[in-house]
Amino acid sequence: MVTIKNNVNATEHVFFYRTFQKLMHNRYYKALLFLLSILVHPFSYFFYKKTKNSNHYQQNFEQRCLTYKEQGLYDKWLKAFMAQEQAKASFFHDNVQNSQLQETATALADAKLTRLVEQDLAKEGLEHLNYWQFFNQQLKNTKFIAVTFLPALFFYVALLVLANPFLQFIVERLLQSLIVIIGVATLVFTILYISPFDPARNILGVEATPEQITNFNRLHGLDQSYLTQLWHTLTSLFTFDLGTSFAGKEDITQSIANKFPVTLEIAILSLLMAVAIAIPVGIISAVRPNSYVDYLFMFLALIGLSIPSFWQGLLFILTFALKLQWFPATYNPSNWLSLIMPIVVLGTSITASVARMTRSSMLEVIHEDYIITAKAKGLNEFTIISRHAIRNAMIPIITVIGLLFGGMLGGSAVTEKVFNISGIGSYIVDKQFIPDIPAILGGVVYVAITISIVNLVIDILYAFFDPRIRSKMRKS
Amino acid sequence: MLKKFIHVKLLLKITQEYVNSHFTFAFSLLFSLLFLAYSYNYTTHSWRPIVLLFFAIYALTTLYIGWLNLRIKRDLTKFSEIQAGTRRFGYPLLLTLLSGNIFATSFAFVILSNKKTAEYTFAVYAFITQIFIFGIGAFNLFKPYVTNLFLLAMGIFLILACFYAVMIVLCAKYVTTTYAPKWMFIPSIILLLATVTGNLFATLLGYSLLQKARQVNPSAIEKWQTIWHKILRNTMAVFGLFFIIFMFSLSVTSNWTFEYDFAIENNYSALLQAPSLEYPLGTDNFGRDLFSRIVFGAQISLIVGFFSTIIPALVGGTLGALSGYYGKTTDNLIMRSLDILYAIPGILLAIAIIAAFGANTVNLIIALSVGAIPTYARTMRASVMQLANFEFVESARALGASDTAIIFKHIVPNSLAPMIVKATLTIGGAVISTSSLSFLGLGIEPHIPEWGNILKVGSTYLETHSYVAIFPGLCIMLLVLSFNFFGDGLRDALDPKSN
Repeated sequence: MVTIKNNVNATEHVFFYRTFQKLMHNRYYKALLFLLSILVHPFSYFFYKKTKNSNHYQQNFEQRCLTYKEQGLYDKWLKAFMAQEQAKASFFHDNVQNSQLQETATALADAKLTRLVEQDLAKEGLEHLNYWQFFNQQLKNTKFIAVTFLPALFFYVALLVLANPFLQFIVERLLQSLIVIIGVATLVFTILYISPFDPARNILGVEATPEQITNFNRLHGLDQSYLTQLWHTLTSLFTFDLGTSFAGKEDITQSIANKFPVTLEIAILSLLMAVAIAIPVGIISAVRPNSYVDYLFMFLALIGLSIPSFWQGLLFILTFALKLQWFPATYNPSNWLSLIMPIVVLGTSITASVARMTRSSMLEVIHEDYIITAKAKGLNEFTIISRHAIRNAMIPIITVIGLLFGGMLGGSAVTEKVFNISGIGSYIVDKQFIPDIPAILGGVVYVAITISIVNLVIDILYAFFDPRIRSKMRKS
Repeated sequence: MLKKFIHVKLLLKITQEYVNSHFTFAFSLLFSLLFLAYSYNYTTHSWRPIVLLFFAIYALTTLYIGWLNLRIKRDLTKFSEIQAGTRRFGYPLLLTLLSGNIFATSFAFVILSNKKTAEYTFAVYAFITQIFIFGIGAFNLFKPYVTNLFLLAMGIFLILACFYAVMIVLCAKYVTTTYAPKWMFIPSIILLLATVTGNLFATLLGYSLLQKARQVNPSAIEKWQTIWHKILRNTMAVFGLFFIIFMFSLSVTSNWTFEYDFAIENNYSALLQAPSLEYPLGTDNFGRDLFSRIVFGAQISLIVGFFSTIIPALVGGTLGALSGYYGKTTDNLIMRSLDILYAIPGILLAIAIIAAFGANTVNLIIALSVGAIPTYARTMRASVMQLANFEFVESARALGASDTAIIFKHIVPNSLAPMIVKATLTIGGAVISTSSLSFLGLGIEPHIPEWGNILKVGSTYLETHSYVAIFPGLCIMLLVLSFNFFGDGLRDALDPKSN
């Protein structure tokens, strides 16, 4: 239980020591690091036990106690505590036995003695160590590191990565996303698993014999237990091999891979359109609040938020395709003109949200002190807005855009149906009537994964670009 | 000189009548232009006389309001207040109620009274709502037959409308911001009873008057008045609230005045009829009256919207409150699990749930509710975390209150404002989701008149009978727009920090 604090010397290596000391406060990290260095622990624990048995510390402790008692300090404290306890008892009119008072006073005096002695010993470099502290001390030792480097390679790599606050943040965020993705897959699988429908009956028809149904269930693994099916689903999701769909026997991963780019293309173009329109609109509204322009823009934005996308799509088809014949009514991959209406329809609500968000974010920034400073410096309005206001107002807007992008991917199902686009959304909708479990599962989970990745990237980019987050990370 | 100029400018800005006249002018102008654009039939190159008549009425109203606007401005510049003579010019504007120009009518009421209590506004809108309900119901007169309750219901509507009109005068005369005479007790009870017609303006008016007439708790009256004063100052929020209550009242009373058979029974002698007096919005491919279908569709939309907002608000609110109050492991556990729900887009989660359990109204409500839980939990958690450190919580704890009592009696009531705002803003989203899913064939059963279902039928007749798709969509948009406007107003009034 004892070690003598080494005097700091030049060869000592404190990098791993410091990192480990910092991470030890978090029990999740502690558990993780323990697992990574599991091969080292039996040996280091053995050494720990060995040093514990040397009673160097105990001897010192007793000796020091004796010194205090010899100096008569202990008796002095005892008397003082006794007087204090008596005063207390008389003040509260308590009838306490003298022996009892004596006991309390002794306990108090002992506690004080122990405290003082421990303090003195710590000053001399003698202290109690538990196993973790002992292990941490060892990390200063270059020899120890050299010996344990290979068996605990991952442990040191983890320490190296986690030493940097940015890398630590990224790793944490990645891990979080991974857990969320697994959670999403489990949740969607569970929902589809507890469904009262029988896909075999739906596909084979009412006249199917029990043998046929058993055969179907065995073929698709539907007769296995929940956990087996779940494990099978998770592995197949991450290895991109979802097998064939119940109806039509098509390769699900292949179909999703064919349909996903279409949805993504339209979604990204809509997002670009939204950003290109909404941010200038929001800025103009914020710069001239409560003007006619502001009212008009915000009214239009609210209409954009309130319009159901399928109805907007139908109106567009009616006006621009059937009446005016500017654009084709349905989507055709070889004709870029047919992309315009779906992009506008899908992007309307996100444009509206971003414009409203930009306005309120800008309004907040415009009233900050640094904008007044910029005005006082004599900068013109354009410079103030473009150099000082926009950059700061963009921060919350980017988060919102990330979140809205997710909603847009989900909402694309409706737009795709209206314009007859064979994207992932309409794929899921088509498959849900059966219900074709692996196809729905794959579609929903891959969309959720895409959204998680987008949000992950945005969060990580923040950490690099926002100086406030950077400095907060350094401090912690 | 400059000082006076600035003074006048400020005065114009804060005078509600002046701002309102601008607004009413803009909207009347917009509607007259819309009527003008629609009055000419481009394919047959002919004029539509009825639409042209509407254009003329609206254009006249617009001009009148423009003139009134200038007069108000002159009054304010000269006398710093609106003269009684100018106010009297509001009376002719009341006639615009007959043309359905709700903006002009409400402006007329604004300009007629110089002291604006919340009660006056409630009474005005209760009256307008009742007249509209009556007018909509009156279209049934052109049908081959009406419901048994039709005459009775219409009679009650008319009596109520007259009663509200009397209340407008009484409120303008006797009610001040802090006081109402004792005898107001009797009409307030009648008003509260009128809630059964779904006219919530009457309820609000009744409650307000009851509070003032009894004079028990002045601070509660003051609080109630301040909140409503803030909301009612926002013109768009008031119109939003009006449309919501109008739709609510319509769906409550539609069973009394509208024959459900016209909405669901097939009539093969009247397939895809164009709008006429018997079928104000035409008929669909089974000869069902579109007008009745849309009126009954409001019920479903409001019910689904309401439940798929209240359920996640309760569940998410409770989870968020527990998470914010206990913190640490509880917080981590709850919020990380909700992150999983949050990662799946609401519509996709709803599709997955419906795929698993089948498409019907109850499943739809559940499906939409589950996806909305995390947002409510986050909102609640944020405000609970803020409140948990306040002194009144500390004192409750010192008095020995249990954790449950602290959370649900002390913290939650104080953190309801952001939840209410959030709920109002998301009802609109729920209405859109409902009709979107019905449109995809995943929502309400196809035979039930629901706006998404009607639109689905309309989408197949887009080229030949576009009105089948246009009117239900318009209703969805107006309802959602109203919730958004009202939600925005509510947020500005209750929770100004969050904007």
